[in-house]
Amino acid sequence: MTAVDTGLAGEYAAIYAYGSAAVHLSGAARDLAEALEAEHRDRRDALLDFYGAHGLESTPAPASYDIDPIEDAESAQALLLDIEMRLTTAWRAGVASEDHSEREICLNMLLESSKAVARWRVAVGESFADPWPGRPE
Amino acid sequence: MFTTRRGLLVGAAALAAAGCTETPAKIIESDDDLAAALRTARALAQAAESLGYTDVAGDHLAHIATLERLLLPDAIPEDDAGPTVTDAAALAEAESEGSAEARESCLTTTSAYAVLLGEIAASREAHAAVLA
Repeated sequence: MTAVDTGLAGEYAAIYAYGSAAVHLSGAARDLAEALEAEHRDRRDALLDFYGAHGLESTPAPASYDIDPIEDAESAQALLLDIEMRLTTAWRAGVASEDHSEREICLNMLLESSKAVARWRVAVGESFADPWPGRPE
Repeated sequence: MFTTRRGLLVGAAALAAAGCTETPAKIIESDDDLAAALRTARALAQAAESLGYTDVAGDHLAHIATLERLLLPDAIPEDDAGPTVTDAAALAEAESEGSAEARESCLTTTSAYAVLLGEIAASREAHAAVLA
């Protein structure tokens, strides 16, 4: 499994999570969730284009995921922030690739996911500062 | 004994300091990408601090500390010149430009520091997104 495979699986999971969690949000948080869900769909499409352009075979998205019940807005935001942080870590790992095209797409995805993490941190009242996005603690 | 590149280099420096070799102690050879990242990190730290964004400045200070450790004893001298920023929008633009610089370095570097440069690009990109 390549870094891009891992990242694509993460993007599928993120789209599912946003679809499950956004209904528990309202106001600015709902707007942010909807905007980021659209970005994940765009990134999924860009990744599928990458597979096509390189003659690679992608794995389809699973029909569903086993996630904890989402009780309220707070747990919805926590889930979405967690998903974004995991994705950032996945994309960061791909930047180590020796293959230029793989490194480039992983880096582009890392930049996008680090922005998403920062936006969610602001939304939940945390500092968005992070010197090493995606680096495992 | 030295299972990583860094461990090997630090070990070599220790051996040199102990007089075991005539090779001068050096962590790494001069690296243009890291040097550029360091100069920009210093400028951005100064700019963020001047506007009161201490968290953002803290990220840049973390980058500076790491880059200076890697470049020693070839660390470049500090220059006073940094971008003139007067508000958050100007800082966001400077952060975005700094991200683009680190991104390009990440893609073109032949060193083992691609991930480090990618992290720095991502951190600056996140600053720009929130400040804009």
